[in-house]
Amino acid sequence: MHFNFITIIARQEWTSIFRSKIPLALFTVLLLVSLLATFTGWQYVRKFNHQQKTAHQEVLDQWMNQPNRHPHRVAHYGYMVFREKSPLSFFDFGLDSYVGNAVFLEAHRQNTINMSEAGFSNGMLRFGELSMAMVLQLLVPLFIIFIGFQTVAGLKQNGVLKIMLCQRASFLDILLGKTAGITGVVWILFLPLLLLCLMAGNLLIAGGINADALTRIVLLTILYALYFLIITMLVVTVSALSKSSKNALMTLVLIWMLFFIVIPKTAQTLGSSLHTAPDKIAFEQAIEADVSKQGDSHDPDDPHFSQLKAATLRKYGVDSIAALPVNYGALVMQEGETISSGIFNKHFDNLIGIYKSQNTVSSIHALIDPYLAIRNLSMNLSGTDFDSFTAFQKQTEKYRFERTKKLNEIHLTRIKYQNDSKQKVSAENWQKQPDFTFQPVPVSRNLSDASLSLAALLLWVAAGFGALTYVSSKRAYQL
Amino acid sequence: MNIHLKVLLLEIKNFLLGNTVLTGAASLLLIGIYSFYHGHHVINRQRQTIASVPAVQKIHLQQIVEHGTGKAAGTTAYYPFFYTTHPASPWAEFSIGQRDVNPFTLKVKMLAIEGQLYDSELTNPLTLLAGNLDASFVFLFLFPLLIIAFTYNAFSEEQENGVWKMVRTTTRSIRAAIAGKLLVRLITILVITLLVFAMAAITLQLPVSLQTFKLLSVLMLYVLFWFMISMMVVALGKSSAFNATALVCIWIFLAILFPGAANIWVNNSIPVPEATETAIRQREGYHAKWDEPKKPTMEKFYAVYPQYRKYPVPDDSYSPGWYYAMQFSGDMESARSSEKLFDKLRQRQTLSERMGGFNPVIAAQQSLNKIANTDLTSHIRYLQSVKVHHRQIREYFYPFIFEETPTESIDWAGYPAYEPVRYTDESVRSGLLAILCWAAGTLVIALILFQRNFIQIKDIPNA
Repeated sequence: MHFNFITIIARQEWTSIFRSKIPLALFTVLLLVSLLATFTGWQYVRKFNHQQKTAHQEVLDQWMNQPNRHPHRVAHYGYMVFREKSPLSFFDFGLDSYVGNAVFLEAHRQNTINMSEAGFSNGMLRFGELSMAMVLQLLVPLFIIFIGFQTVAGLKQNGVLKIMLCQRASFLDILLGKTAGITGVVWILFLPLLLLCLMAGNLLIAGGINADALTRIVLLTILYALYFLIITMLVVTVSALSKSSKNALMTLVLIWMLFFIVIPKTAQTLGSSLHTAPDKIAFEQAIEADVSKQGDSHDPDDPHFSQLKAATLRKYGVDSIAALPVNYGALVMQEGETISSGIFNKHFDNLIGIYKSQNTVSSIHALIDPYLAIRNLSMNLSGTDFDSFTAFQKQTEKYRFERTKKLNEIHLTRIKYQNDSKQKVSAENWQKQPDFTFQPVPVSRNLSDASLSLAALLLWVAAGFGALTYVSSKRAYQL
Repeated sequence: MNIHLKVLLLEIKNFLLGNTVLTGAASLLLIGIYSFYHGHHVINRQRQTIASVPAVQKIHLQQIVEHGTGKAAGTTAYYPFFYTTHPASPWAEFSIGQRDVNPFTLKVKMLAIEGQLYDSELTNPLTLLAGNLDASFVFLFLFPLLIIAFTYNAFSEEQENGVWKMVRTTTRSIRAAIAGKLLVRLITILVITLLVFAMAAITLQLPVSLQTFKLLSVLMLYVLFWFMISMMVVALGKSSAFNATALVCIWIFLAILFPGAANIWVNNSIPVPEATETAIRQREGYHAKWDEPKKPTMEKFYAVYPQYRKYPVPDDSYSPGWYYAMQFSGDMESARSSEKLFDKLRQRQTLSERMGGFNPVIAAQQSLNKIANTDLTSHIRYLQSVKVHHRQIREYFYPFIFEETPTESIDWAGYPAYEPVRYTDESVRSGLLAILCWAAGTLVIALILFQRNFIQIKDIPNA
């Protein structure tokens, strides 16, 4: 390996790309599309978050302005939480359009998170959403294919390769030089753009860039840089393997189709066939069955609640519920809530587990398709991934439980058992309850969640170098 | 033998025996078979769930009655769920559309409806994002690529290796040579389309009916459109690499970029804050009633149901009649924003259809989903049927609630049966027309280009 040869070839590749008009024309198109995508993405996130904030404020005001009420009424009045988009979601929409945006939190019931954008959309959404991440993941590879398909194959066709090989440059030097040249061009064209868009968007949406956001932005830039490197190595390898530029182009376009259209869909549908998840009815039935096994607070003869009654009477040393210093009705309610919430969480975790196994099937496919690796990583770092949404679901359920529990405590101590439903307590009692704030998944957990994809991406880099070395060692490909 | 026929036969031999046709057709067929399996699998699971509903409903109501024995109807009425289902049409297996996103079963209580309509189905969002690999995807996304692969080098390859010059000098009619080459490709493509469609029709057991025929016409026109696009690019007389690049770029533009941008545009120009607004209003509308005097609430209820005026509603204590009147007024107060939401969703549909006029890919997709009844409009019809059912149930149980009939003396399963939305035969004429116009327009341009670049060439060395 001669470093100076590699540099010369890289520089030569660089200038020859910039000399021709087509790459610049293509870049201009991509630049316009990226700017358009960034702008509309930013605008959409801003509008959407504003809408969610307004709704949140309305619900909060309503909550605070409640008159004096019976605490269990308040528990049924419940609360609504509106999901806001993450600051980087303008860059990568990820799952955002397919997950719910609002959830109603009430006593006794775990409601689904509803009102996803996909539910209010007709089929057009399914063609894919125009975001900057989509441009970088799908279209930049195509750009690399178009500027690079003839890089080695062309030299073979016009005989220049033989001349170069006679001048002490090894085939590996040429391949590495070509890779370095094209990668350099792609990096200089897209990485500053990426960095700038990420910074600007984050600044506009979140009003500033904190350490967490900065880490995400830097990581995204590095990972996309690696992704472009992988695609470039792939293009150079295929070009080196091909007899003519035309063959190289055909093979590369075919690979593109496979990577971006066929494999992602097949992998995910395969995942859902392999790991069957229960539908809603089956899911709810299973929970209901478990709840009635554990103890049904509505059934007066239920053994679990008979025991609770006996134990409570013993604890306070009285012989009837009416003589208890606390409200037994509230106690039963909280017990029922604890039981059903525990069972729900168990089933929900199980469901999430199944979904995760389904998703792992496509993560494993990242080993044969680098697009899947970058797709997952990009979503994770942008906070629009599966784990971020699951975290939202779990946090709202926890919040629902805590909130209901506090109301039951008020019920327990402030409401007398006799004539229970006729009494009211002061609104101050629940005005002090903390509001829900979503705790985003920290970047370290985002990365560990996507560790398989990260490993796949790094493996692809190694495999790329391996492939180049292997191809360069075969005489057949030098002719 | 006639020279035309000879050239044609040679072309057939060259083309059909080439690698492209065999690999292209075989891989498409393979993916096609997988897509049939997938479409069938997804819809069949939905069908199984729907089939399980009557039993679930029956057991559920039995349990409710068991628990409620001895209590008045008004107390028990709070608990039962009533299930509704949205059965799949026979063509849904072909084009899953939005059926995986939208719920196909919904259960409602007798309480205010607006809070219950938008419950989502449990699904893995990543699966939704990846999308379905169903038959419609194969036709909409992959067939164009097959067509591109078959045609991009139809003339350029022979120009590049010098054969074309020989053809020009030997043949008596260059027009016939061009037509022959194109015809061979077109017929091959149409045969493959018919073959894959026939396989789909057999494996998915599509009924032999007008709808299936409509489905086929959309696909045939769509395939023709892509063939015309290919013809147009090929007629430019550029190199194979140029043709392939240009065609792939057109494909990406029409099938990915355009719909992506159009979707953002539709969502931006018709936002739906009404969705959350309806939920907030309904909740507030109902709950505020608890702290208000009972009379206005009851009056609102009596305005629609005057027959219940005769039942006393005590002013100082709880009564079941009042409770359901409160629920009812929650719905009344959110009715406007709910109506507006449906209206806006319909506007979104109309706007997307208008987009289809500019892009045959969108037009074809929407036509397929329309035929399969798997689009947003179909889901809105379902939601409306749920609303109707909710009203029927309320109206069935109101007399028992106001009479305070004991739980055990009511036939809890006697409410009017849920009437699922029937298959709606929607016109796909505008979609068909859009694809046809685009195909015809491209054909004209292609013919002009052929005339200019292949037939009347003045510059002999370039011929």
